[in-house]
Amino acid sequence: MAINSGKFLRVNLSTGQTMTESVPHQVAIDFIGGRGYGIKYLYQELDANVDPLGEDNKLIILNGPLAGTSTQATSRWMVITKSPLTGSFARSVGGADFGAWLKFVGYEFIIIEGKADRPVYLHLSREGCQIHDAGDLWGKDTKETQKTLKDEHGGNTRMVCIGPAGEKLVRYAAIVSDRRTAGRCGTGAVMGSKNLKAIAATATRTLELFDETAYAQLSKQQATLIMENKGFQNHREWGTTRTQNITNNLGIYPVLNFRYGQQVGHEKITGEEYRRLRTGEFGCYSCPARCGKAHRVETGSYSGAYSEGPEYETIWAFTGSVDSTSIEATVAADELCDDLGLDTISAGACIGFAYELYEKGILTKADTDGLELKYGNHAAMVTLVKKIALREGIGDLLAEGTMRAAASIGKGSEVCAIHVKGLELPAYEPRGSKTQGFNYATASIGASHCFGYSGQDVFGAVVPRPSDRFAEEENADLVIYNQNGTAWKETGINCTFSAGWGWVDSLFGKLLTAARGIDQFSDNDYLWKVGERILNLERAFNVREGFGRKEDTLPQRMLTEPLHTREAPGEGQIVRNQDKFLDNYYWLRGWTKAGFPSPEKLKELGLDFVLNDMNVEQ
Amino acid sequence: MTTKVSAAINIPQFFQHLVDGVKVTKTGGRTVGECLDELIERFPQLEAHLFSGDGKLHGYLDVFINGESAYPEELSKPVADGDELHIINIIVGG
Repeated sequence: MAINSGKFLRVNLSTGQTMTESVPHQVAIDFIGGRGYGIKYLYQELDANVDPLGEDNKLIILNGPLAGTSTQATSRWMVITKSPLTGSFARSVGGADFGAWLKFVGYEFIIIEGKADRPVYLHLSREGCQIHDAGDLWGKDTKETQKTLKDEHGGNTRMVCIGPAGEKLVRYAAIVSDRRTAGRCGTGAVMGSKNLKAIAATATRTLELFDETAYAQLSKQQATLIMENKGFQNHREWGTTRTQNITNNLGIYPVLNFRYGQQVGHEKITGEEYRRLRTGEFGCYSCPARCGKAHRVETGSYSGAYSEGPEYETIWAFTGSVDSTSIEATVAADELCDDLGLDTISAGACIGFAYELYEKGILTKADTDGLELKYGNHAAMVTLVKKIALREGIGDLLAEGTMRAAASIGKGSEVCAIHVKGLELPAYEPRGSKTQGFNYATASIGASHCFGYSGQDVFGAVVPRPSDRFAEEENADLVIYNQNGTAWKETGINCTFSAGWGWVDSLFGKLLTAARGIDQFSDNDYLWKVGERILNLERAFNVREGFGRKEDTLPQRMLTEPLHTREAPGEGQIVRNQDKFLDNYYWLRGWTKAGFPSPEKLKELGLDFVLNDMNVEQ
Repeated sequence: MTTKVSAAINIPQFFQHLVDGVKVTKTGGRTVGECLDELIERFPQLEAHLFSGDGKLHGYLDVFINGESAYPEELSKPVADGDELHIINIIVGG
């Protein structure tokens, strides 16, 4: 019998009932944990077509099987739900300590159901779960909220919470822990819709492992491999604050709302320039990388701004989107997003969308509360961040995301809404990194770079093979490799960056076996199969919600407008063969031409329980 | 007398614009360092992009030989006839 195979907490906020349950052993074998448990329970417990912001949606917050142990980069946490931005499956990942603390109080995950009749927060300890009034916390930002709860429950407390953006149901509100966020897909809005302000866990460190001796030995091996790995050393030095050096040179740094792939003046926003403002480092539980690089602005109009970031995506969101090279403005905008609880990627993309509409005259000062949204105006950008989080003025429209905002505005604005399935694109231009682009098009959650990151296109990675970044249908196998690989690694909610630190392939499975006592986990072929199982179940969830081939598309701009790259290569690139790509991708996945998992594939993966739900016209 | 080897250096996509789009070049070097020296001889503009002032490979670059990282020996790592070298950027994501 496995040890540590999973207890979880179910909290019904409508009734106030809480219950501890156990994950069945076969589910532990089939899905391992983390993202696997998340989609398994979301699929089986959610009816189709529930309102993402209604009482019937469920919010699942998970850690991984290795969370809280001595291994490094394995203690992150994840949120699984139905997204209010896309209406599809949502998964978003956060850092800091909460994943470990959730394990210390004895849980692999929490399922939150229903809706409280007033603002509340949960307090978890080894003694159980209590629901507390959060009336005094409602309206507070994430910094104040966390300080208040720490003062209340003591130093051995870690938490996740929402800020005002989540309370106001901004469709891309984040859930925040310390200064790390589960940013994407609007999970903070789902939490806000349930009147749930925070979940705090108070505990001392305690763990049960199947084979503690074996685990300790493997953990030492992991530490040695990581410390000797050059990728780790580089990540410890820079975090992701240098990625824009590469993407600008490749011509894939999206500028002016994805019309250009290189920013004029990009030499002013390099990692080296950010380093001038660096004041410290911070990191996640049991991780020596400390890749969060803190920056403080000492002079100028943003003097006093301090952020434990920005990292690459946020640097882009608040430079390329509005054609600004103000590092200081990115620090200020990042700080606001963390305080107010906003996804920086969607926030920056929505602001970039508004700037283009202003340029085209579709929005005027009469629509923007008097703000002049001219490219380069970073002060207006910072103002907009706050307006979005508080749903003030034009911020109320932009808080809906680009897809809904464009539908509301009309006047041809749809072509400027750069999203997949409603989720705004991140900081890699699809026309210059097409493996990455087609990952966006086919990801279960919409346009996420982390869903199946193409290191082959961006960094020249050679595993499983190098890519031609301008090739299209020829790279369907790479998209699948990247997506399935990410899925099985996220059963552990391992830090995605640590996949490049030389330990995952050789040790992750063995660590799972030592932790759980399930021998299959030591077989990497089995892990890949679990990754495929997860992807197919997520796809089935989306099919049940009405998604299919027509939603697997890049924005119109990528299919019809040539990319401009200035001095970088790739000028004139366009996505020409999306249909051929999809044909090949579906065929390799064992899906129908409509993009539905075939009965044979579902049976092969042990997902027979899905078959009836796939009984839709194909 | 030593025999010269013939290995292939695959120039990464993020450097190809610096070398007129060349994707692969042959080299006779017996170590990674010798191979890169030959590469720079052919394309001097790559030197600053490969090496820092102290002559070390930049901290964010790695050379893979037949799919395996050359680190930590890096520049002294032997190269055999028929080997495939790839230069990769080891920044991971963002």
